[in-house]
Parts: sequence; C-alpha cells; structure tokens
Amino acid sequence: MGNDEARRRVGREILEGRTGVAALDRYTEYVDAELRRLHGGAGAPPGGVALIALGGYGRRHLCPYSDIDVLVLFDGEPDEPYLRRVLHPLWDAGFVVGHQIREAGDLVQLEADNPEFLLALCDARLVAGDAALFARMRESFAVPSTYACVLESLQALIDARYAQFGGTLYQLEPDVKDAPGGLRDIAAARTIAAITDPALLQRGEEAVRLAEAEELLLTMRALLHLERRRNDNVLAHELQERLAERLNYPGKGPRQRVEALMADYFSRARAVARILDRLRRTAPAAVGLNLGRTRDGVRFIDRDRAIAEPETWLAAFQAALDGDAAVSDQALDLIRQHAPRFRGADFLPSAGHRAALLRFLEPRPGLYARLSEMHDCGLLGRLIPPFRAIASRVVRDFYHKYTVDEHTLQTVRNLERLSQRPRFASLLGEVDAPELLVLALLLHDVGKSGDGDHAQRSAAMAEEVLDMLQLVEPAREAVLFLIQHHLRMSQVAFRRDTEDPEVVREFAALVGTEQRLRLLCLMTLADVEAVSPDTLTKWKEELLWRLYVDTYNHLTTQYGDELIERSQSAAREYVAKRPPDLDAAEVAAFLEGLPRRYLQVVDRRTVYHHVRLARDIRPDEVHLRIEPVEGAWELTVVTLDKPMLFANICGVLSSFGMDILRGHAMTNPNGLVLDIFQFVDAERFLALNRGAADAVMHAIEEVVAGRSTAADRLRGREAGLRRRPVSRITPIVRVDGEASRKYTVVDIIAPDELGLLYRISRAISELGCQIDLVLIGTEGDKAIDVFHLTKSGAKLSADDQQALTAHLQQLLEAQA
Amino acid sequence: MKLLKAIIRPNKVDEVKDALAKLNISGMTVTEVRGHGKQKGHTAVYRGKEYNVSLLPKMQIEVVVANTAADDAIRAIVEAARTGEIGDGRVFVLPVEGSYRIRTGEREV
Repeated sequence: MGNDEARRRVGREILEGRTGVAALDRYTEYVDAELRRLHGGAGAPPGGVALIALGGYGRRHLCPYSDIDVLVLFDGEPDEPYLRRVLHPLWDAGFVVGHQIREAGDLVQLEADNPEFLLALCDARLVAGDAALFARMRESFAVPSTYACVLESLQALIDARYAQFGGTLYQLEPDVKDAPGGLRDIAAARTIAAITDPALLQRGEEAVRLAEAEELLLTMRALLHLERRRNDNVLAHELQERLAERLNYPGKGPRQRVEALMADYFSRARAVARILDRLRRTAPAAVGLNLGRTRDGVRFIDRDRAIAEPETWLAAFQAALDGDAAVSDQALDLIRQHAPRFRGADFLPSAGHRAALLRFLEPRPGLYARLSEMHDCGLLGRLIPPFRAIASRVVRDFYHKYTVDEHTLQTVRNLERLSQRPRFASLLGEVDAPELLVLALLLHDVGKSGDGDHAQRSAAMAEEVLDMLQLVEPAREAVLFLIQHHLRMSQVAFRRDTEDPEVVREFAALVGTEQRLRLLCLMTLADVEAVSPDTLTKWKEELLWRLYVDTYNHLTTQYGDELIERSQSAAREYVAKRPPDLDAAEVAAFLEGLPRRYLQVVDRRTVYHHVRLARDIRPDEVHLRIEPVEGAWELTVVTLDKPMLFANICGVLSSFGMDILRGHAMTNPNGLVLDIFQFVDAERFLALNRGAADAVMHAIEEVVAGRSTAADRLRGREAGLRRRPVSRITPIVRVDGEASRKYTVVDIIAPDELGLLYRISRAISELGCQIDLVLIGTEGDKAIDVFHLTKSGAKLSADDQQALTAHLQQLLEAQA
Repeated sequence: MKLLKAIIRPNKVDEVKDALAKLNISGMTVTEVRGHGKQKGHTAVYRGKEYNVSLLPKMQIEVVVANTAADDAIRAIVEAARTGEIGDGRVFVLPVEGSYRIRTGEREV
C-alpha cells in the first residue's frame, strides 16, 4: 500500500463510521511500518541509533498530510549513509519530514532555546532501533529542571498562540489545530498534567470531555487534510458545509447543518479551553523529581512511584523547606500509610541520601514545622528510629510542660528563632556544621524512653543512628559529646559559682575547643527554652552568656599556660597506643610542652603524623605536608623556631593567592614549631597544576632556609593583594597582659583580606616580639586572630604593649 | 514575725535552702533578680571588645520567720551565702504585721 492509498483509507474509514482517533492510529501504524522497513534496510550504524516519533506523530495522531516529526538519535557520530537510506525514500514517497538529528551526548545539554523541540520530546515514542538508547534519552529528559523549562515555555507558547487569535475561540473560520480550544490546547493540557500531576486530568468528567473534543477535532482535521490535500487546518466556510454534510449533522438545509456542526465545535472547543485554563492555574510547579507544588503544599506527582521509592520522601520535605511551603496532605497521607513497611536504611540507600538528610537538618526557619509534619506522618521515627521511643512520651517533673518528642522538636524551633537573641545568633553563624547540632538535639532526650541517666542512654541509642548515617570522626564524636553533656552547661551556669576561675577552667577542659563550646552553648539555650514558655528568662540567658564568654576567653587566652606533661595520662595513652613505626621516646618528646589544647583540636591519627613530620628536624629545615580537606587545603609545617618565621610562611601562602581561613600555630619550649593552616585556593592553583603543591612547599623551604624572604616574593604584588574592603567592620586590637601567666595575648578582629595575617605577624616580629602561639579564625568576612607573644622570653612591658597596640591599630586602619 | 529578704549569688541558693532547712524553716519564695549593690558590675571582654556588665544576676530569697527565730535564720543565710568576695549580697529584715492562710482564712500568729 502506498502513502496515498493509506491516506485515502483514513477518509474512507471515518465515513464508514470508524472514529477519527482509530483511523489516525491505523495511519500512524502504516507510517511506523514504513519507517521500520527503511530502518531495517538501512544497515545499523556503528554506534546504534533510535528512530523516535515526536509530537502528534508520537501521540499516534498523525493526520494524512501532517509532517512526520522524527528524531534520529545516534549513540555517537551521526551516520550519513544511514540518514540517506532512511530519509530519501520518505521524501520520495511524498512525506513531509520534520527531522531532528542528535547525538545522545548532546541531549545532556537542555535545549532551552528550542521550546518546540522540548515540547515535542514530551510525546517521544520509539518507532525503530535501539530501545536502550531511547530509554536513556527518556531518563535524561525526565528531570525536574527540564520539566520546569518545558512548563515555562509551554505557558509562553500558549499565550503567544492565543494572542494570534485575539484571545478567543469564537472564530468564524477556526483553525482546529492552533486556535484556542483546538488540538494544541488538548496536547498542552495533557502535557501539563503529565509533567506536574496526572491526577489533574483524572477527574472523570473532564477526561471524557477532553476525549470527546479530541475525537471531533481530529476527525475534522483528518477530513480537512484530505479535502485540501495538504496540511491545512482552517475550517473555512466552504469546508464547514462539506464537513457538516459528510459527518451527517442534522438540518433541513446546508445552513442549518453548518450551524449544528459549528455549535458542536464551539461547545467542544469551549470545554477544552476551560480545562486548559484550569490546569494552567492549578498545575503544581515542579519542585523536584516527582514533586510538584500547589497551594496546599508539596505533593508527589506520581503516587505509585512515590510508594515504591521511599528514598525520595525526604526530598518532599526539603522542597517544602526550600520553597517556604508545607508538605501537602496527599504526600503526608501516602507516607503515613506506607512508612511502616520500611526501615531507616531504606530511606538512606546511598551516601547522597545520607548527605541529603544532614543538609535537611541545617537550622533555618521552617525546619521545626517540617520536622513536625515528618513526625506526625511517622517518617521521623522511621528515619531516626530512637525517636519513636519518645513519641508522646510523658515524663513528669517540676519543669517540663510538653511531651518529650514535642520538647525535642521545640529545641529545633528555638534555633530557628535565634535571630531574636542576636549574640547567640552570631554563635550559630560561627558553627561549622550546624546540622550536627540539630541531629544532637533530635537525639538528646531519646534516653528518656527508659530509666536511669537519660543523657548516657540517649548517647548509647544515638550510636545506631550515627552508624546508619555512616557519620565519621570528628562529626560523630561531636554529636555524642553534645548528647552526653547536654545538661552540663546549664548546671555550671545556673548552679555553680562561675566567678571562680577553677569552675571555668574545669568546664573549659570538658569542652576543649571553641567550636564545641559554641555548640554546647546553643544546645543548652535551645533545650532550656523548650522546657516551657517561661523557663528561659533573661536572667538565665545572661548567666549562660557569661559562662560562654568566660570559657571562650579561657580557651583562647589561657591555653598557653596548660602544657602537656610526660606524666599526664593523656600523653601516656598516646605513647602506649602509638603505631609500630614510632618509638615511645619520640612520641613523648614531641608531645611534651605543646599546649594541652593540641590534643583536643587534632585527632589521634594526625598527631602521629605530626610526630613523623617532626622526626630528625634540623635548624633551617622544614618538613611540610599539603593536602585537601573539606572545601579547602591544609598545610602542616614542622620546623624549628626563628625570627619572622610565622610571617614568612603566611607571606608565602599569600604570594600564591591563598586565603588563610583558620589554623593553629604552636611552639614547644624546645623551639619546635608546629603550624597548621587551612586556606582557600580561590584561583585553583593547587587543583589545576600538577606539581603546584611542590612549588608552594619549595617556596616555604626557601624562606625557612633563609635563601629568600616572603617580602621578596611579595614585592610589587603587595599592593595588588589589597582588595578593597567590602566590610564595615571596625578593626579591634586588644592587648592583654593579664589573662595568661606566660604570654601577652593580642586579640585582633579585622575585615578579612588576603595577606592580612602576613602583615600583622610581620609587624609584630618587627617590634622584636616572638610569636609563640596563634589561633587563626575567619567568621564570615571577619578575621579573628589571637596571638600569644613574648619579648626576650617574658611578657611585654607596658611600653611595649602600648607601642604594639598603636602600631597594629595604625596598620589595620590604613588598610581599612 | 519578720520578713527576711536575702539577695544572694545564684549558686548559693541550694546551700542557703539547706541551712534554713536545718532550722526547720522550709517555706520560702525564690526569685531570679538582677541588680547591683556596691559591686556595680564589671567589665567583661569578648573578642577584644569590652562590654559592661552592669546588672548582675542574683537570687532573691524571701522567708517569713518568728521574731525569736530571726537571728538564727539571718546567721544561717549569711554563713551559707558568704564567699568573702565582693558581690555576696545582702539580707534585709522587715517587720510583718500579720499573715493569713488563704486555704482556711485563718490568721496565723
């Protein structure tokens, strides 16, 4: 059968009473068979190919003179001979072919500037060729970002098309394809529903209306094509008469029959336009894979898929959080019904899912509400199994006003509302991984499900969750520490004499680092406030803040007075548990005299690594290591102290454009220097250049050996290093001769800038001061550095202090 | 009867309570208060920045005792709350004209 015969058959079948839809399906079948035949005879190209029907042809609604829209998708280079052997015979047979040729690799790039093509892809159907290739294409297409783009372009295309018709469907000579209420509207409605929420078109009545309209419009279009023998879709006056007669519209004369036809047409077109209008207004915006957002919140688009994929549920809550929306009842009901079938690990099958859960727990407005929904529908207790043990748990005491689960969730809410307490809010901004704080809060009271010391029980129960999350040190230890000691800070702040330095010293020894202190302080605040609406009084807040400040000061200004001694149990433990390549004396000698703080900020493996770096160090030598750490790089330096050393190292890093974020510089009484710098390599010098780390290390070796200086390296570049400060922070220099027994402590807060640390430390060294210890910190655009200094082995004299303050002030103000 | 109003350090409440309990004095009101006496607050430093701590958190304990028990009670409070440092607080003694038990309406002597 030739193409003309196949076309005529469409008309014949319609007039014999077959529906238009069925007749076009048969015609589509005919064209499919032709394509398969040509494909079969064309010889497979080397990389595989798929012949894919697009648009109306993809929907199997191919009208007799419509363009055959096909996508020829190659898994590799397009194969010319194949294309010739498939396309040329089609043209010869009188088909108008709208062909697109793509390589599979190209489809990764979303063709956002080609909305018609994107839209046509929504109806893609494999006709012949590589099914796996086709499946891959579908998969890469079915992502939220593509859907969002399709939806947006579709809305624009509809608007433009309506404008061409004066925005009305009541055309005397309507275009059954393009006019408002026409076939394009039906396709648009189906597409919107398919990519947002299929349920939108599952209302019985509307689905029937749409199908009826489609039947009439396709029948009309098929007959129009056959009448005009071309792709003409305008129902012109003379054709109205012809069609009315052929389709047996009732009426005494032609005029009445035309009126009946057009009345039928308008009623169908009106229904189509209304349905499309409703869909355009109510369709959920795609907010994630299988997730849409409507007025009642975030919902699953495909219910069956959601039921089968519990690992996608968390994304609904994340999308709601991101979009400041709720999770819809549809989604919550689905989860409530199906959650009991799954266990924690089912929700977190991959590292990506586990990271997503932690990301979800970052404190921000709306997290309490989302966690409450999650708890209410049973998901929270599944994701974090110990939480189930405290659901509606009542523990009677004098203070608590809520059940344990609600108390727990309210602690998270209190973190969200921290902006009402600016000084504590600033602490939250300085916490490296605030999601760990929320995780600890969620677990801090799970031990109240049983008797005994609930903090210990909670910590024991938390292990299971941390295992499931595969949380490693130091994050894991931090969470367990917070849970175990969550009552400690309030006990000390409210019940003990914090004016007694010994009380503060003990508490500082427990928390160990500023980072943990911040976490515990925020945890305490959130926990106390969640006991009842009036538990956290201004009075308690003040006591808590003071303990925080006293402890912070202790940790940053007095730690130089507390040194590791050989006989100390911690030091003995490090010696005892050393790896086989280290000997006892070497470990003990390395540790002795470093600040005790060292063992709290560095993990065990790293300590041993430092011991190795320190082995056989000689004057003017330096042992170095550069390695990537999360989001930054870390440089470890071991050498023997000499004047200007710290400034020189900072200067070398600056000369490579490295921005120093945080770090510790330590010295032991024998002059061994251990400096750890974390820095950002904004220009990606280290990441992109082989041998770059060696170049940096070589430059440091040169300055330590005295063969060059940082000043040489920076000469001429220094002016370029000074970026215009965007910050309005007023620099602060505070020199304190009292806090530490051994050192003069200098606090410096200044706008963070490349090279800042170099300039400060150089200025300090130029005044003849020795830099013994440094804490380097950056919080936002603020550099916070604490230097512990001596001059000729003693604290600075009053005159020296004054000179130093003035010098640094001048330096920082000149900079600002 | 006397009303003893003691302003003490927050961490001394438990000790004062225990000391009074030893004298069989148990009914008391404890309030979180802020204020300053001669101590006048002090200057704290955080991150190189000084801030003035003018009102200090204190606890106020109010207890009504018989005239004969007043001296012992005052002594117990002073001993329990003392650290010897500035800021230990004060005890005020006020006369009480009478007291009524709300539940029964009866006047206590």
